Amino acid sequence: MMQHILTFIIFIPLFTAIVLGIMRASTKSLKIGAMFSSVITLFLVAVVAYNFNPDIGMQFTKNLPWIQNAGISYIIGVDYLSLVILLLIGLLMPPLYIYMYHEERKGYWYNMMLLQTGVTGAVLSLDLVLFYLFWETMLLPIFVMIGKYGNGMHQYNSMKILLMTILGSMSMLFSILYIGYIYFETTGMWSFALSDLAIIAFEPKTSIWLAAGFLLAFAIKIPLVGFHTWMAPAYGSAPTPAVVILSAIMAKLGIYGIWRFGYGLFESTLSYYAPTIIVLALIGLIYYAIRAITENNLRKMFAYSSGSHLSLIALGLFLTNIYAWSGSLYFIATHALASAGMFLMIGLTYKRFNTVHISDLGGIASKAPIFTFFFAFFALSIAGLPGTGGFVAELLIIIGAFKADFWIGVLTATTMLSAMMYIFWMLQRTLFGAANKECQYSDLTLREITILLPLVVLLLVTGIVPSLFIPLFEPQLTTTLQDVLFVIGGLK
Amino acid sequence: MISLIVVLPFLSALLMGVVYLSNTQKKRNTFYTLVGVGTPAVSAVLSLMAGAELLQGAQTIHYTLFQWVNIGEFNIEVAFMADRLSVVMVAFITVIGTLIHIYAAGYMKEDAAYGKFFAYFNLFMGSMLLLVLADNPIMMFVGWELVGLSSYLLIGFYHHDSANITAANKAFILNRVGDFGFIMAISLLFVSLEGNGFTFDSIEANIGLINHEMLALIGTLLFVGAMGKSAQIPLYVWLPDAMAGPTPVSALIHAATMVTAGVYMVARYSFLYGEIPNIGLFIASVGAASALFAALIASYQSDIKKILAYSTMSQLGYMFIAVGLGAYSSGIFHVFTHAFFKALLFMGAGAVIIALHHEQNIFKMGGLKKELKLVYITMFVATLAISGIPPFAGFFSKDAILVAAFASEHYFIWGVGSLTAMLTAFYMFRLLFLVFHAAPKSTHRLHSVPNSMTYPLVILACGSATAGFLGLNEAYGGGSWFNTFLALPDVSHHIPHATEYMLGGLNVILGVLGMGLAYKMFAKEATEVKADTLFKKILMNKFYIDELYDFLIIKPLLFTSHFIAKVIDPKIFDGFINLNVWGYTATATLFSKLQNGKVRYYALYILAGVSAMSCYMLFKLGVL
Repeated sequence: MMQHILTFIIFIPLFTAIVLGIMRASTKSLKIGAMFSSVITLFLVAVVAYNFNPDIGMQFTKNLPWIQNAGISYIIGVDYLSLVILLLIGLLMPPLYIYMYHEERKGYWYNMMLLQTGVTGAVLSLDLVLFYLFWETMLLPIFVMIGKYGNGMHQYNSMKILLMTILGSMSMLFSILYIGYIYFETTGMWSFALSDLAIIAFEPKTSIWLAAGFLLAFAIKIPLVGFHTWMAPAYGSAPTPAVVILSAIMAKLGIYGIWRFGYGLFESTLSYYAPTIIVLALIGLIYYAIRAITENNLRKMFAYSSGSHLSLIALGLFLTNIYAWSGSLYFIATHALASAGMFLMIGLTYKRFNTVHISDLGGIASKAPIFTFFFAFFALSIAGLPGTGGFVAELLIIIGAFKADFWIGVLTATTMLSAMMYIFWMLQRTLFGAANKECQYSDLTLREITILLPLVVLLLVTGIVPSLFIPLFEPQLTTTLQDVLFVIGGLK
Repeated sequence: MISLIVVLPFLSALLMGVVYLSNTQKKRNTFYTLVGVGTPAVSAVLSLMAGAELLQGAQTIHYTLFQWVNIGEFNIEVAFMADRLSVVMVAFITVIGTLIHIYAAGYMKEDAAYGKFFAYFNLFMGSMLLLVLADNPIMMFVGWELVGLSSYLLIGFYHHDSANITAANKAFILNRVGDFGFIMAISLLFVSLEGNGFTFDSIEANIGLINHEMLALIGTLLFVGAMGKSAQIPLYVWLPDAMAGPTPVSALIHAATMVTAGVYMVARYSFLYGEIPNIGLFIASVGAASALFAALIASYQSDIKKILAYSTMSQLGYMFIAVGLGAYSSGIFHVFTHAFFKALLFMGAGAVIIALHHEQNIFKMGGLKKELKLVYITMFVATLAISGIPPFAGFFSKDAILVAAFASEHYFIWGVGSLTAMLTAFYMFRLLFLVFHAAPKSTHRLHSVPNSMTYPLVILACGSATAGFLGLNEAYGGGSWFNTFLALPDVSHHIPHATEYMLGGLNVILGVLGMGLAYKMFAKEATEVKADTLFKKILMNKFYIDELYDFLIIKPLLFTSHFIAKVIDPKIFDGFINLNVWGYTATATLFSKLQNGKVRYYALYILAGVSAMSCYMLFKLGVL
């Protein structure tokens, strides 16, 4: 059982979807089935986390030959890095399904299950072709959900995200194939396993182009400044569950990709790109935040907010020191929780008031106090308030930035100001002031509180007692970082 | 035990918050009063017990609750430290805090969100105590930010009026600008000391490892944090607006405790500031400028709470003069005495506002001397104290600061301080005379003021009258007990007692002068100030600092945001992408036109191709 557990975690949602599809299940059984599959995967993820040994690297690995002629294998495994994202996926799916309780369109549910398999597979794959496969798989449901169930200019926007993401994927695929070819040239065998390819010493010039292929895909996914114009339209048009996955999980996979494959394959080349990316990330941190100030659509505002914070995470990753790395990894988790909560609140706002435009809202605080509490809590945790996990992460990244360089530190510390610039004005116009609107101000129901409360508790626990979580990733993160620094230092 | 001082208020805030949210309609005032007022009282008892322990000669009490973060050398614990400095701070914060909580139980009793108020109020107490008792700079920063949050929540307590939220936002944002400096300072401090531990004790032990320039930078950035929290130039504009909150909030947060956190912080880092006296001088200058500046504005305000707010800023300026010049004990002593009389003044003002049905303009008040006798007497005591009339508390603490400035030969700062002292007496007695002496302006029946609001005033009045004796120095026949107990690394200068008497006497004369001027102008008849001269106009508009911020920061930010939304994103980034799309479509259109299925066109292409190839070959062969 234990050696197949990751396979189960990946494929249970897809399997459920296929079985239900063949049975032509009714909407009701579809809902029950999806819920059931998410709870089982959550349970299995919990088993993995419980048995996870933080002192060793890859574990629960499974290596099965797949397309032997081409050296493509089914290799999966989990380490400190993928565990964090795996936990997030496991934790977020059940609340999302509860949120979708009233959703009657079947395609919605099928797409969500496919999406779960896609993101889980991408985060657990250790074979480059397998990774590519899952990477593309997770794009499809998003494309359908925006295109079919979205709002606004949803078809145009879904096409935009598809084309821009595929542009990145294509360049990554090219790099993957070329790396496989180089491996064949040097060893006479085909392999796409990360552990095999990691030992190739590329020629510097080749390496720069190969790394660029990967970086383009990840830069678009994150997105870094300049690669971002798909972001706001897609977030604005996508239905809430898709936005939650986009911001909480998929954007993080861009970071994950650099972390796993970038630093796994070309450590030294990444240090060649580091100055560029650090500059882009610093620009992004401030640029998106300033753009968010005057945004009237809540979904788009928090799309920019997400971009700003993901730039910060990317920044931490490229600073390659222990504080910045730990901060980035911690931020992956805590930002996922906070942004999931925030986008769920925006979804609930839409359900109540039929709008997500700030100028149409106001005065909620005097009518719906519980709603106000949750809304403000998630907004403040995005602003990195102490007591929530985001603060710990931002503090670590700021310290790491000052360790790297004084001016990078100063610019990174502006994260203290950047989120605040849009959040407080938004809260004022959304929640406070006179309640003069004609819509129904109903407070949160028990079901809605059940969705949100676990996120609040987790944000508080990650903020107040981070020492509960840090030992899970700290030992191996330190080892990996030392390896990376050794390679970078060795070449200099 | 000392961890309970901090943890209890947080727990009770959580409890009240959950109970309140579970049913916001239900009135549970007895429960909220018991928990809300009881918790600070328990904290006060515990703080006094800790203080007693230290008085009996115990060493600094350390207590670690649990480990917070341990990554690399960054090993931070949720730990508390009760040394002499922090014990003095927590003692007066919890005692005065409890009194203000009792007062608030009366002030807020008709408010529907009574439970929410006490949840926020206890959240503030917990955060403030965390700030003071923190054992390392990170925990101090957490408390520092959380007091900012509670301040935000309480300023915006009456949230149906959007103007109050604007005030709350302003407070939080300007505080965060300060925090931006603060977090840079502690990050730099950590990076410079990496590997030597990060508690206040270990920082103090290793401060010598940091070079002088870095220390100066860290000291300056820390002070930026203090400027925000303690409302000094140029980050002060939030404090007057913060008066939008309920009056107990103004008394507790924006007068007695939170705003003094900056002074406390400088005293806490006295080992660092001792190394960089030039930065200290800068702090003292900012303090002196803020003191004078705020006193000038206060003399032309007509809102009772705003006068007190500017007065707070002015008094905080004094405290920064003290700590900047290395007279840390005198600074903390003024924090201590100021807490009594300023809390009292705000609470008295609150009683007046309630009695007059929420009137805040002092020119529309008057003649309350008889009806609000107890409030009048206690406020009179506080006004004497703040004006520096002996033997009331303010005289001794303010005198100590001015003597320190004079003794360290910073005569200009001393001069500004003395001038401000006169202005202080002037604007405070102006307020007192207008509210209690001048002819009544309205005939409305007064709203009743509950006992829970007046009794705390009496206790604070006793404090305002006598707290000064704790710090009586040799010249006045005391033993500087307060300073001796604190044992801070003060920079001491010796001056003859005769000079001290002379300086003290001068202060009294200036105070009486200001008082007399106020009596002459406002005790009988007074009309509201009009902005008839340029000077008055500038003062009444608070030197146009708000407008300046708007012009320099807010407008450009909004402009940039619009510019990104309208130009950079769609025209440049998307423009580039759409250009590619357009190129693709254009090429496709061109090709589909070429491939039109007509044989004569294809024949033409063949001809063109053959000619081109022939030309190329001939060229290669060298024929052409």
